[in-house]
Amino acid sequence: MKTRILGIVALAAVALATYVALAVVPADLNQGDAQRIMYPHVASAWLAYLSFGVTALAGIGWLWRRDLRFDSVAVAGAEIGVIFTAFAIWGGMMWGRPIWGVYWQWEDPRLTTTALLLALYVGYLLLRRLTDDPDRRATRAAIVGIVAAVDIPIVHFSVEWWRGLHQTATIASPDRVLNPAAPMVFVGTLLGMVAALTLAWAYLMIRRYQLAEAELGREERARIERLVSSRPITTSGEVAR
Amino acid sequence: MSDVGFVIAAYSVVLGGLALYTLTLWRRLRAVGRDDEGT
Amino acid sequence: MSALRGEARVALAICRKDALAELRGRHATVSTLFFAAVVLLLFGFALGPDSARLAAAAPGLLWLAVVFAGILAMGRLHLLETDDGALEQLALYPVARRAIYAGKALAGFVAMLLLALLVLGAVGVLFAVDVASAWAPLLATTVLGALGVAAVGTFYAGVTVRLRAREVMLPLLMLPVLAPLLLGAVKATSVALAGDPFGELGAWLQLMLAFDVVMTVAGAATYGFLLED
Repeated sequence: MKTRILGIVALAAVALATYVALAVVPADLNQGDAQRIMYPHVASAWLAYLSFGVTALAGIGWLWRRDLRFDSVAVAGAEIGVIFTAFAIWGGMMWGRPIWGVYWQWEDPRLTTTALLLALYVGYLLLRRLTDDPDRRATRAAIVGIVAAVDIPIVHFSVEWWRGLHQTATIASPDRVLNPAAPMVFVGTLLGMVAALTLAWAYLMIRRYQLAEAELGREERARIERLVSSRPITTSGEVAR
Repeated sequence: MSDVGFVIAAYSVVLGGLALYTLTLWRRLRAVGRDDEGT
Repeated sequence: MSALRGEARVALAICRKDALAELRGRHATVSTLFFAAVVLLLFGFALGPDSARLAAAAPGLLWLAVVFAGILAMGRLHLLETDDGALEQLALYPVARRAIYAGKALAGFVAMLLLALLVLGAVGVLFAVDVASAWAPLLATTVLGALGVAAVGTFYAGVTVRLRAREVMLPLLMLPVLAPLLLGAVKATSVALAGDPFGELGAWLQLMLAFDVVMTVAGAATYGFLLED
């Protein structure tokens, strides 16, 4: 019941934030209407990083406590993280085309890091599919999730260094919406969008966690079914007909 | 495509995607629940 | 202190075992080298025939070939363990997990270093690049690159070795993680070949070193959990 309320509140918040971002806040002087894309783009990127952080921590939790509920949290984080990563990339591309003239820019560390993030966690999800035993799956996923999380800062750093050799115009930078000199109305709208999408994120995380737990239960019951229905062995050691 | 087109493309994919994912989650949850009743 | 020395001895023993096994089944090593050569040839066909363009692309092509062939090599080193349940037996020894990882990664490093040096020579010839002129920084780059691929490869080969779709999962998992190493290695190589006009070489080598350290520590710390299956 509480989750449902969260869902409704999240829906209302997202609707409100979208309305403000599209109809209330003024367009940017330099970037025009395209700058409005930054609100969901930045929020999605933040939620993607949050999700994968949750996955990595949940993985550590599993390795430490061997409680499969940690693994359910981990898979929720990874799946939802992949979705928000895809949103972030899409937003970045939709912003890039009008502003840079191209859909993709290799020198933008956030865009390239996010693309790599997508690759890392799609790999994580595919890996999970290939293991049926829940414990083994949780262990493999946990260590892969940890190594992936550890790689992310290195990636970001390396791409920033890569870019550092060229100049990029600050006006055409996605950072502008976070620039401290930006007017309060932009910052406020961004924070509102982040808060609204975070509520949606929380709702989805809870539901996905519940799904993972339910599926674990179903797997367990199926396993017991198979054991129970298999032929009994007679005292002479033969399988009964 | 004018700037507005890109804005619409961005928002519709994000919001639509969220809606779609929510719906698939609900469906998957219902499916697991149904299995329970079957056994 | 003696515990560490004990671990080091175990690591070396495992490294020797892997190296001997590879040397005896030499056909696999040779095939991996030839694969790298074929990849370089295909790069030539894909990006050539303009030799200026190829020379400019050479650092990237070098490291791509090394990485692709390296995936095969690292996968092989773990296949040795599946053939008679050797991995399970290894896991039974009361030995620090990270020593097992270190031993396998060391063997992997030796293989990758050999591979990378040979590919470097081949690139010099095929794409008309004067590797001898910058041999010292190129050697440093090669060592750091080989270390990184070995550290990451040993870890992921361990993860995927018993999976159904391991041939595609190993590259799928390894390649994104290797991106920053690849970036650093290619930059270091191209900067070294150009004579390091802006003094960036140190920065790129540091990036590679940081990657190697982080990945080795992460790999060593988590590899053990694989053996508890």
